[in-house]
Amino acid sequence: MKKILRRIDQVNTWIGQLFGWCALILTLFVTYEVFSRYAFKNPHAWAFDVMNMLYGALFMMAGAYTLGKNGHVRGDVLYGFFPPRLQALLDLILYILFFFPGVIALVWAGYNYASESFVINEHSTITADGPPIYPFKAIIPIAGVALIAQGIVEVVRCVQCLRNGHWPSRDIDVEEVDVDKLKDMVNVTDADIENADRYVVQQGDKA
Amino acid sequence: MRKEAWFGISILIAIVLALIVFMPAPADITNGHLGLLMLALIVVTIMLGFPTAFTLMGMGVIFTLFAYRGMGPKLAIEQTLDLMVLRTYAVMTNDVLIAVPLFIFMGYLVERANLIEKLFKSLHLVMAKIPGSLAVATVITCAVFATATGIVGAVVTLMGLLALPAMLKSGYDVKLSAGVITAGGCLGIMIPPSVLLIVYGAVAGVSVVKLYAAAFFPGLMLAGMYVLYIILVAKIKPAWAPPLSEEERRIPLPEFASRIKDSISNKALPGLIHALKGDRNRDIPASVILKQLLITLIPAILFVCAIGLSYKLSVSPKASQSSELMEFGSLDAPSAVQYAGSLQEPAGSGLAEPPGALAEPPGSSLAEPPGGVSEPSGATAPVTDNNAAAPAGEPVADQPSVSPVFWGVFAVGLALIIAFYAWFTFARLEIFKMLLASFFPLAIMILAVLGSIVFGFATPSEAAAMGAFGGILLALCYRRLNMPMLKESVYLAARTSAMVCWLFVGSSIFSAAFALLGGQEIINNWVVSMDLTPVEFMILAQIVIFLLGWPLEWTEIIVIFMPIFLPLLAHYNIDPLFFGILVALNLQTAFLSPPVAMSAFYLKGVAPPHVTLNQIFLGMLPFMGIQILALILLYLFPKIGLWLPEVLY
Repeated sequence: MKKILRRIDQVNTWIGQLFGWCALILTLFVTYEVFSRYAFKNPHAWAFDVMNMLYGALFMMAGAYTLGKNGHVRGDVLYGFFPPRLQALLDLILYILFFFPGVIALVWAGYNYASESFVINEHSTITADGPPIYPFKAIIPIAGVALIAQGIVEVVRCVQCLRNGHWPSRDIDVEEVDVDKLKDMVNVTDADIENADRYVVQQGDKA
Repeated sequence: MRKEAWFGISILIAIVLALIVFMPAPADITNGHLGLLMLALIVVTIMLGFPTAFTLMGMGVIFTLFAYRGMGPKLAIEQTLDLMVLRTYAVMTNDVLIAVPLFIFMGYLVERANLIEKLFKSLHLVMAKIPGSLAVATVITCAVFATATGIVGAVVTLMGLLALPAMLKSGYDVKLSAGVITAGGCLGIMIPPSVLLIVYGAVAGVSVVKLYAAAFFPGLMLAGMYVLYIILVAKIKPAWAPPLSEEERRIPLPEFASRIKDSISNKALPGLIHALKGDRNRDIPASVILKQLLITLIPAILFVCAIGLSYKLSVSPKASQSSELMEFGSLDAPSAVQYAGSLQEPAGSGLAEPPGALAEPPGSSLAEPPGGVSEPSGATAPVTDNNAAAPAGEPVADQPSVSPVFWGVFAVGLALIIAFYAWFTFARLEIFKMLLASFFPLAIMILAVLGSIVFGFATPSEAAAMGAFGGILLALCYRRLNMPMLKESVYLAARTSAMVCWLFVGSSIFSAAFALLGGQEIINNWVVSMDLTPVEFMILAQIVIFLLGWPLEWTEIIVIFMPIFLPLLAHYNIDPLFFGILVALNLQTAFLSPPVAMSAFYLKGVAPPHVTLNQIFLGMLPFMGIQILALILLYLFPKIGLWLPEVLY
């Protein structure tokens, strides 16, 4: 059981990271497109569709990964003060009350939407002769399924926390503000900070 | 459990109890009641700390089902699902939001290119002579870096590591130092290219281009007010911001420079030229001198290019298309000068900007800094130049005519550049080189991105992509581009954009349900029935947003609560563009308001142990006051923001 959950976590991380590269592709693609437009006078009609699809795929497929890394924004003013058990209990209730109904509905709706699009072999109408659009629409249910899977992992984490009184650890791949890395980057050591403390104390003495 | 938690919980329980008391009996509940219930519940559940995107989504689905309950279960479910998927798909194909992951990606790349150390050092040397120089340099570093990255946490942490010890060491007041860093770090939220404005544009249906144009001067104004405040403090209370000692101000000269300085001249240009032909400096390789000479000549070369181009353009205005081009072209150079001037204003005594130093060769289409038209004296000159030249040129296209204004500008520019070289010593050459390696690349990148958006060469998302590409190049130039760094940036960009965009998905489902239930209408009627004047409404709205800024992040406020305010703007005849700028400024204030200001905690995380959180909060207060002052100023003089978009569009 634990193994399966861990595997889900890893797979979702992998998918999210994989689709994260869409950001780089998007950057290079659009830069090239702009260059092509101005330098070669050769704009591509399908460029807009591709941009849209890259962006849509990027954020939809990274949703589960973000959930797994606790990256979705939450109102944590009060939450931060709660003891872990209460946090877990609230999370558990709200996962069942809001998360699963919402995401299951999304998968269901997305499945219908994409399959209808597939049946009529729908193509993008933004430009004439646009690319097929159903693979893009299929992302909605796929991203939803990934979210459900990750949601199950999170629920189990809540249960574990309720039982043990502390949150099980998460695998950390990269942090937005990684203080140690930033210290390395600008060559500041803890000793430097300690050194600066002297001046603070001096000021305190004078005041 | 802590007191704060109990306090919060009791408020939430009170809200729920009030709901139960005021709700009519289940039989009498109308859709409108459900709408209000929904709004109250969402506030409560957001405060409970569940990921907001999914709270919104789940609640939206449940309440949409309620709204359609009259249709019978099967149809109701079908309708709900349709609405949901259409809303989701609309976010996936939103062409405004494409810029979000790109700007975020650019931010992470620039952050990791590690320019900040050089940037801070060079600016601090440039500012050395003005009062409070370290603090001023901190604000400007923050402004430039935060604008390019947009990541508050990283900027505050980095400046906390670099600038805080430096300021403390020079005897700066702890509170002032902390306030400067926290306030400066938040500037990136407002000064374009900022993600906040894109998200607001997507919510409000306001053109991002106009938002960027409108936010530019208020952002600069805020940064300028910070600088002014610091200078004032340094003048009034020198003990809080003592001047740098001679030793700290000294710029170590490389060997060749000190030798030329001793033997020939301290002035960079004549010194280098003499050294090139003279025999006295045989031991300095000519290649070194030539390289330095080239760097020394950059301002002059740019000046010649700018003047040459505007001469060519003002001589040959042929088709209407070319006269349009010319308008841009000749605005370019002086405008860049003006911009550089305004950015460097505090440097006046230290290092005034050489004319044209910031101006890229005007031929490159991206160089138009929108800041340009800031000072009427300089900027109107070329405009009138155009206007004078264009009508004169059109009827008699063959006769080249150059208006006297052009020669006037040329003469002034020439005088400036000569003065510049008379003053350009070797020490200043060193500073110039440092700026060339830190400040100018970032400033040019930001201005190129902004310029191409504002002048319509590229859509915001295209400009964002080119900005991200610029970030990659920057990292490459600084030899920081490697696989781990790229990976980190990509993963973080994926996560942050997923966070923003999923919130968008959730909120658009939620607001659809809210509108279906008629909750929006009730709110509208209620506010309208209060019979406020537009001014009162505006103040009320800003206060509400300010209060929301305490517990919530800006993403939540803009994505969830803006849609409630926006329909009301039309009633009070308020421009959503103007409202957006006010909101952006306001939310910065929220970032600095104790006790939940995030930037304070980031700073505390890297500050020396004896710096207390209270000191940081106290230090932030004056800057909060300045922000409120800026808000009032902007409200009283909307032209500060709206002038540029009006001129351009």
